[in-house]
Amino acid sequence: MQKKRKNKQSVMYHNSSQKKFWTFSSEEHLEQLRYEANQRLRAKVLGSARDLTAFSESLFLDPLEEAVLFRHYERRLLDFCTNFKPVMPKSVVGTANMYFRRFYVNNSLMEYHPRIIMLTCAYLACKVDEFNVSSSQFVGNLQETSAGQEKALEQILEYELLLIQQLNFHLVVHNPYRPMEGFLIDLKTRYLTLENPEMLRKTADDFLNRAMLTDVGLLFSPSQIALTAVLNSASRAGINMESYLTECLGLKEDKETLSKMIDSMKRIKTLLKKYEPPNPEEVSTYKQKLERIHTEFIINTNSKRKRGYEDDDHVTKEHPVAEEE
Amino acid sequence: MDDQSCPRCKTTKYRNPSLKLMVNVCGHTLCESCVEMLFVRGSGNCVQCDTPLRKSNFRVQLFEDPAVDKEVEIRKKVLKIYNKRETDFPNLRQYNDYLEQVEEIVFNLTNNIDVENTKRLMEHYQRENRDIIQRNKAKLTREQEELEELLMLEQKETEQRRLDTLQEEQRQLLAKKKKKQALLDELESSRLPAMLLLAQHKDRAAQLETQIEIQRQVVKPTIFSTGIPMGQTISLQPVVQMEEVLYRYQPLRINTYGPPVPEFEQLGRLGYLTHVRAASPQDMAGGYSSALACHRALQDAFSGVFPLQH
Repeated sequence: MQKKRKNKQSVMYHNSSQKKFWTFSSEEHLEQLRYEANQRLRAKVLGSARDLTAFSESLFLDPLEEAVLFRHYERRLLDFCTNFKPVMPKSVVGTANMYFRRFYVNNSLMEYHPRIIMLTCAYLACKVDEFNVSSSQFVGNLQETSAGQEKALEQILEYELLLIQQLNFHLVVHNPYRPMEGFLIDLKTRYLTLENPEMLRKTADDFLNRAMLTDVGLLFSPSQIALTAVLNSASRAGINMESYLTECLGLKEDKETLSKMIDSMKRIKTLLKKYEPPNPEEVSTYKQKLERIHTEFIINTNSKRKRGYEDDDHVTKEHPVAEEE
Repeated sequence: MDDQSCPRCKTTKYRNPSLKLMVNVCGHTLCESCVEMLFVRGSGNCVQCDTPLRKSNFRVQLFEDPAVDKEVEIRKKVLKIYNKRETDFPNLRQYNDYLEQVEEIVFNLTNNIDVENTKRLMEHYQRENRDIIQRNKAKLTREQEELEELLMLEQKETEQRRLDTLQEEQRQLLAKKKKKQALLDELESSRLPAMLLLAQHKDRAAQLETQIEIQRQVVKPTIFSTGIPMGQTISLQPVVQMEEVLYRYQPLRINTYGPPVPEFEQLGRLGYLTHVRAASPQDMAGGYSSALACHRALQDAFSGVFPLQH
């Protein structure tokens, strides 16, 4: 029971849409959702193709292959954001990444090409987080001719509404950066056993950057991730900070919550350890497959996108002719 | 406001706002002067639709849209024939069906749909229901007469009252004049001192006035002008008093799934603010203080840090 300032009531994590709708119970649940998205796409393509003999199941990507490509494009997104001019604040990067991740929980990479979606996520994140960049400034950061940039901008604008829709209009994302600052302030004020909390900052930051590349954002609250980051960097420096949990966070009596918290933190650390950077050879193979699927089977013409705003279930009449195998 | 101009001379309507538009049976309008000019021989063709028209059929336009005027005319004619009332029907449904029929006919005639058939229908109906039509016509005239009588009565009464007040005034004026004259005469002829005479005169005048007042009050009204007789009692029962539970404010309690955050006002005292970047004078001018950022960071850190009870 706390008295919160009235104007901050609506932006807190505990009554946010992120907590209600975009925090899942387990990694298995996420895997299941991604598997279902993959299946849906396969059914859709098989259902609408004219010439069923022209292709086989093997042309589709399976969820593991999609995951590899996802990680590859996620890195591309992060590179784009770090090289962005003017300098993009961390929260914007975090938001863009979260959008990208959430989008591909319910959609398959084969249906919407990640190259465009990643740019759209960055563009939307800038807007939502009030990092105001004009659209021409935005595409100016792409390494392409001005005609290429124009085309990219067109595509971004086409996909923007789709992205918002697939995010279920839940655009506010809570990142772990501010909670981490909060913990550092609290440590400096109340946890005087630790002499210099500031030294934990760099490793904690690093931890958070690695966490962004995993599913932790979809499984745990940002404050939990931040706390894990701080405790982890302390333990790497050889300091045990459990007394912080018991004393300052008031969990001396509440053994159950304490053990659950330690458990969650272990899970987060495990997820970070499990992360494998994408293998370049695999990436190029899968990329080829992806390109093929997109050019041949996916109804990805401009007209559909524009009409898609009014009529979502509209099936276009043009089917690109399947090439001979 | 009239936004129309005469379709023929166009400008004249703007220049002369008092000029009226006339509508004919085909639904097209013409200003008065154009009517005079075109129908000098009594009959001619409409400018826009070329239907043969008579000058006598022109009526002054009452509505902005001439189509409405046309419909009103047609409706009048139709209702002269279709003049049944609710009492002529055994139930409401049939009455409504009859009304629906009438509307159909009016609509058809106004929009020139199926005019032949409609006219034939009308004639057929007229022949069938001749006596009912006659009866209703008679009833209508009787009702109208009664209404007219009432109106006449009212008018007479108001006239009467007006005349009465006028007469009263006249009488008073005359009385005053007489008194003055009497006073002058007395001053001339009598041998009493002038002051005494004046005082007597004044007394008499005052007495007269009170008499008139009393007379006026005697004419008491027995009914209000709306027809409700005076003296009718209206029951004024006391309003029922309702006991309601008094509202008590309960402060909002929200679960933040985390440890309690220190109060905003206590942050300085508890020493948090020394660990936050101090606010520059430019920041403070806008109302920002370092405590705001500090409190926000702490709230974010503590919110949701306890795992949910799955």
